[in-house]
Amino acid sequence: MHVELHHITKTFGGLRANDALSLSFAEGRIYALLGENGAGKSTLMKILSGYQPPDSGQILIDGRAVTFETPADALRCGIGMLHQDPLDVPNLTVLDNFMLGRREGLLPKRKAARAALEQHAARLGFHLDPFRYVDSLTIGERQQLEIVRLLSLGARLLILDEPTTGISAEQKQTLFSSLKRLAAQEGMTIILVSHKLEDVAALCEEVYVLRGGKLVGHRHMPTSIDELVTLMFGQSLPPPARRQSALGEEILRAEAVSLTARRLTVRDLWLSVRRGEVIGLAGLDGSGQSDFLRACAGLQPLNGGRILIGGIPIRGKGYAELLRMGVAYAPSGRLEEGLVDGLTLTEHFALARAGGAWINWRAMTALAAEQIGRYNIRGMPHSPVQTLSGGNQQRALIALLPENLRLLLLEDPTRGLDVESTAWVWQQLLARRDQGAAILFTSPDLDEIVTYSDRVLVFCDGRATLVSDLAASTRNPAEQLGELIGGKVYEPR
Amino acid sequence: MNLAKARGALLTFSGALGVALVLIALIMLSLDKAPLAAGRRFLDGVFGTPSARADVVMAALPMLLCAAGLLLTFTAGLWNIGVEGQVTMGAIFATIIARTIPRDVSEWGILAALILPAELLLAMLGGALWAGLTALLKLRGGINEIFGGVALNFISVNILLSLVNGPWRVGTFPQTAPFASAALLPRHPELRLSPLAIAIALIAFGAVFMALRGTRFGLALRAIGRNAKSAGILGVRVERHILWAMIACGALAGLAGAFQVLFTRGRLLPNISGGIGFMGVLIVLLVGVRAAWVLPVALFVATVPVGSLKLATSLDSSVQIDAALGNVFQGALVLAVLIGGGIRARLAARRKERAEHG
Repeated sequence: MHVELHHITKTFGGLRANDALSLSFAEGRIYALLGENGAGKSTLMKILSGYQPPDSGQILIDGRAVTFETPADALRCGIGMLHQDPLDVPNLTVLDNFMLGRREGLLPKRKAARAALEQHAARLGFHLDPFRYVDSLTIGERQQLEIVRLLSLGARLLILDEPTTGISAEQKQTLFSSLKRLAAQEGMTIILVSHKLEDVAALCEEVYVLRGGKLVGHRHMPTSIDELVTLMFGQSLPPPARRQSALGEEILRAEAVSLTARRLTVRDLWLSVRRGEVIGLAGLDGSGQSDFLRACAGLQPLNGGRILIGGIPIRGKGYAELLRMGVAYAPSGRLEEGLVDGLTLTEHFALARAGGAWINWRAMTALAAEQIGRYNIRGMPHSPVQTLSGGNQQRALIALLPENLRLLLLEDPTRGLDVESTAWVWQQLLARRDQGAAILFTSPDLDEIVTYSDRVLVFCDGRATLVSDLAASTRNPAEQLGELIGGKVYEPR
Repeated sequence: MNLAKARGALLTFSGALGVALVLIALIMLSLDKAPLAAGRRFLDGVFGTPSARADVVMAALPMLLCAAGLLLTFTAGLWNIGVEGQVTMGAIFATIIARTIPRDVSEWGILAALILPAELLLAMLGGALWAGLTALLKLRGGINEIFGGVALNFISVNILLSLVNGPWRVGTFPQTAPFASAALLPRHPELRLSPLAIAIALIAFGAVFMALRGTRFGLALRAIGRNAKSAGILGVRVERHILWAMIACGALAGLAGAFQVLFTRGRLLPNISGGIGFMGVLIVLLVGVRAAWVLPVALFVATVPVGSLKLATSLDSSVQIDAALGNVFQGALVLAVLIGGGIRARLAARRKERAEHG
């Protein structure tokens, strides 16, 4: 199946999200669609997968023009899209989700469906238990389910939108090797939408680069990362600065902590963090890193042991109390847990800042306007937060953090952000560190952990191991970290 | 709120009113009654005379108080169905003092001036206690406020019945003796109207309105109602706010209960609430939790029981109907408004879609 996009244009208000884009996707090849946030990647892929029509331009499949009214139309023509947040029904089983959207009679054929599920999963090298509930799966497993479902419905061209966000390194390897096999052996066309250059380098054969709604480059891999960055942004980015100042007093202490994570129990965790330190929490998705962060914020109970902040045990204290002690927590799901859908930016600042019973709306609007300028948020004081883009929501979340923090707990702080926004977020966070805050953060991106952490706490198999000599490591530090996450025993040198 | 939106809401409301009226007219025709004549009699009964108008205003006050309290809880995403029991407890607590006041208090001096404040405060305490209990069941016991509220409604009704059938009973009927005038809300010399009650209700409503618009408390309730998790991460003490919203609503409902015993009835008797708590829920649903609309809608809703009582007691058999038909009308109206709102939202979505693709 050969798919061509011909002069696709789409405007939103005054913004040209796609400006006369012409791209071509051949059978059996793996493409990357690169670009920073807002470059027009998602718009183009939504047009190709039937979620929205273009203003003008054509989609040609094997030379024949087609139009899609709905995603189901596109799927009937063989085009399937895997979304960044899996569009499944969490409180149904894997098998039930698999059967949704199949065109069958009134009575679903569970036995046949189960056979099909297992057959397609085996073809890809995935292991999916048909009777598990989807909400107990990791993001990576939910993705596998969605891919299996799309393939069983006859997809010949698969679009993957940021598929490596939130999945483990191991799951990424499985995903990439099965995608390569699909392309090489079965002639599937794959389009990877991403801003992660290492993913593109590892998987793709050809790269299209978008910038500001226009096609600015078409390269065959291998192409140097620097060249791709230059195409995406117009210039290369400098590496971040290391810490200059000396460490302060101890702010966080964990003693023999034991807590329950989604799939396992973490036991006997010891940690001491001083102000001015950055600690990365690494591990497979769901190994307890996020749970430990939440426990430090008073949001999750411990099974045993204790956590002290500034020498004071936090047992029995709620998050609001810890916030007053200079502790802040920022979750990765911004609109689920962090921002309030329907409230404006001004209202968020009014809520987050302490003050009297009465709200001075004029002063709060001024504060919001000032923070919008300072943190470069694309929005107005009266903009409801859900109308902001993901990157701008993350900026708002950081702008909402109180001043004079002593401990900052961040769950995947750069989730779904492009290289430039990621650099900006870290610049803000490191400025907090230089003012004397300690930072604990989780990330599925090992390079991010290696780049910014002074020490790393590796979560594996219910144990947490502190690694303090990564920077001194002569080998590739990310690779060493990957081995530890995978279960290799740590030997300090 | 912009003008077009307000006009849309008014249009929906008028349409729903029309639907409910047609329904009632059809029912009346099927009973061989004269709808038009009944309509005239109804309007005359609620607007025709100063005393009719006073009745409507006084009927609206307890509903206004309940609706004001429910604005707080609905804003925080709480379905305080227990409001009915909170009204009942307010009436019972007010009676604790009211039934002990003698006919003659001329020798009480300054103490006499404290009777009414004490009754009202105790009534608020009673309502707040019941609401606080519902909140604790929710926060500590994990019992949804709807179920806790319904259970406490039952209990409050049975406490009421056991009191008026038992220790507080005076005479053959299950009710207390009429309260002494010193225990009652002071009346206008000619009309069945209490300026003090009107002032209290308006001040209470004004306070809720201001709290929702301009205070940290009101903003926190809005945040909790939309996303309690995020509100907590932003530093709001979610449980404490839920507790206080419930307590405030209960206090206002208790005040409404006091109005029932200290003005409307003048004594404690079974079914003292008469469903005004649920009327408050209907009002807040009708206005879609928009505070500014509560006042006129409460007045409008209050015309129905007043007017249908006039029809029920009419001697002219062509318009004489059971007062229950008033409840049918109210139910039909709320349903029609909710359906109308749904239709409007759907039309708006379709228009927006067309504008985007067109």
